[in-house]
Amino acid sequence: MTLTLAHSGSYPRIGDSAELQLLRRTIAGFDRGERSAADLAEAENQMTRLAIEEQAAAGLDVVTDGQIRWNDPVSYLAGKLAGVRINGLLRLYDTNFYFRQPVIESRLQRQGELAVSDLQFAREALAAACKGKPGSRQVKPVLTGPYTLAHLSLAQAEELKALEPRVEAYAEALAAEIGALADAGAETVQIDEPSILLHPGDWQIFARAVGRLSAARDEARKRGRKIGLLLYVYFHDCAPIYSKLAALPIDGLGLDFTYNRKLADAVVESGSPIPLALGLVDGRNTKLEQPAEVAREISRMLPRIAGDSAWLGPSCGLEYLPRDRARAKLQLLGEIRSAVEGR
Amino acid sequence: MNRQKLKKLGLELPLFPVTSVGSFPKTDAVVRARGEFRRGKINAEQLTEIEREATAFWIRKQEELGIDVLVDGEQYRGDMVAYFAERLPGFTNGGLVRSYGNRYYHKPIVTGEVKWTEPLTVEWWRYAQGLTKKPVKGMLTGPYTIMDWSFNEHYPDRKATCMALAGVIRSEVEALIATGCKIIQVDEPALSVRPEELPVAIEAMHRVTDGLNAYFITHACYGAFDLIYPGMLELPVDNFDLEMSNSGLDLLELFRRHRFTKDISFGVVDVHSHVLEEPATVRQRVEQALTVVPKDQLWIDPDCGLKTRTVEEAIAKLRRCVEAAKAFRN
Repeated sequence: MTLTLAHSGSYPRIGDSAELQLLRRTIAGFDRGERSAADLAEAENQMTRLAIEEQAAAGLDVVTDGQIRWNDPVSYLAGKLAGVRINGLLRLYDTNFYFRQPVIESRLQRQGELAVSDLQFAREALAAACKGKPGSRQVKPVLTGPYTLAHLSLAQAEELKALEPRVEAYAEALAAEIGALADAGAETVQIDEPSILLHPGDWQIFARAVGRLSAARDEARKRGRKIGLLLYVYFHDCAPIYSKLAALPIDGLGLDFTYNRKLADAVVESGSPIPLALGLVDGRNTKLEQPAEVAREISRMLPRIAGDSAWLGPSCGLEYLPRDRARAKLQLLGEIRSAVEGR
Repeated sequence: MNRQKLKKLGLELPLFPVTSVGSFPKTDAVVRARGEFRRGKINAEQLTEIEREATAFWIRKQEELGIDVLVDGEQYRGDMVAYFAERLPGFTNGGLVRSYGNRYYHKPIVTGEVKWTEPLTVEWWRYAQGLTKKPVKGMLTGPYTIMDWSFNEHYPDRKATCMALAGVIRSEVEALIATGCKIIQVDEPALSVRPEELPVAIEAMHRVTDGLNAYFITHACYGAFDLIYPGMLELPVDNFDLEMSNSGLDLLELFRRHRFTKDISFGVVDVHSHVLEEPATVRQRVEQALTVVPKDQLWIDPDCGLKTRTVEEAIAKLRRCVEAAKAFRN
């Protein structure tokens, strides 16, 4: 059994030094009409490179692009779809972070790639960060899932006012994107579905949407693509629906262990038929975990997890932390792995 | 309305008292002075003097408008949690985190035992109250919100952090009361973020207010009230100050299903819109409020703090509140 270090999504796009405030300055300048769209894109590129460099420097095996270009987990993807208008601010779950709410005004449709060009840029950045030798390191694209997008959207289009058709419409768009990411060479795609933890009563609708995405994965595999689908849930207690989540037709399940200390007991008790991504490092609090304590939890769970590898990562994206603490949490992942391996 | 309590405190308020939620826009002089202070061009005393002048401006303006229960306008405060965290032992200033879009703030970190060692707001309250005969509210951020909007590296869990902060806020409430403050607002905008933790917020507010002689208000906004109502009515305060207009008065439906038992400061103007409401719109909102609460339970105010509006917009929105109250008193 090996433990792979994998990031879970976002990364701070700012830091305390002037150099790390490049994107903030450029956006402010762009809003005042003093900087061009090209300036803005270059600032995003630069902060994306830095996010990837910091993940690579911390020894992560699976990195993300840090979602530096994402205004928030909802409007970045939804805003690229036809039929959607981006509206006012709403609080994102129990964070003190606010997203812009999509309003579906007419038929919702994918009109171009959502994350393919981001993946291509991130791969080049990873290769550069590893001086041309990324080895087995890979970039993992992240998509917010159809249920969560639908749940956090409003609909003016009559046919999408009910939740189920809204979820289906987003699932169609994301299924096409999964195919495109597979064709672009993505080995895994992370689908974030935090909303299902808060609304487990919608399980049937949610599970059908996951089924639609896994069908897209299967179609890509038939075309000879190597792609795995990882489902990540966080921001609430995963334990009540853990067994159902682990039985979904996915290739890995990312769990947030910070809301319920007994989740590890549930994993030990029920086992897992699929590989798990263990979100044992709190992405929402600055306190650094004790590597030995976390290693004990992992050692307890590993024998009960199917597959020959589990991922270790933060409980959620790291954008909710100041940059120095986010970096420290990444470093911690390596220390925990060493502790698990008895080094 | 908890008129009896107000009366015992020596406060005679008219029907539909008009108040505001706390912050007003910084005056141009304060904005300039804060920049100069950051660049080291003026010292802290000079900045404070300009903040005092701006506070006097807002007290005068509220009196001219005919507002009944005043606030100091928070010209000297930045973020509602950071203001307290920066002054309390036990907190460390954290690095920048994003709140939305291109907005960032320094999120505080609890790194040790939080302690109240001296008054945090009392001198400003005393100054503001000295400028007017009308009551000025004491304005505090609640323990649950300070806990939720801070990182915690010291206490074992969220509840322990919250209860420690409740002790701190209680000490500040006691200091305000000892100075003569009779109406104290303890803001809890994070109240609904984790509905399962409502009992923690309630227990903390008991620690803040139990046995203390003041009329207590709490302000909450932009939350999932449907998940915590009617349980939130157990919060030991006299008055809930609620954002109502930004969400199209959708809370009224909840109040119809389960009677609203406290006094309410009913937000009748949207603070996140540049658009000034028509007088008729505001009157309609008051009429709607009166379908769910008796008239002697109803206070009138804006949805939330007005600090994101311009000075002119804020004054115009406050004027609408006063006009509506007067129309209904007649």
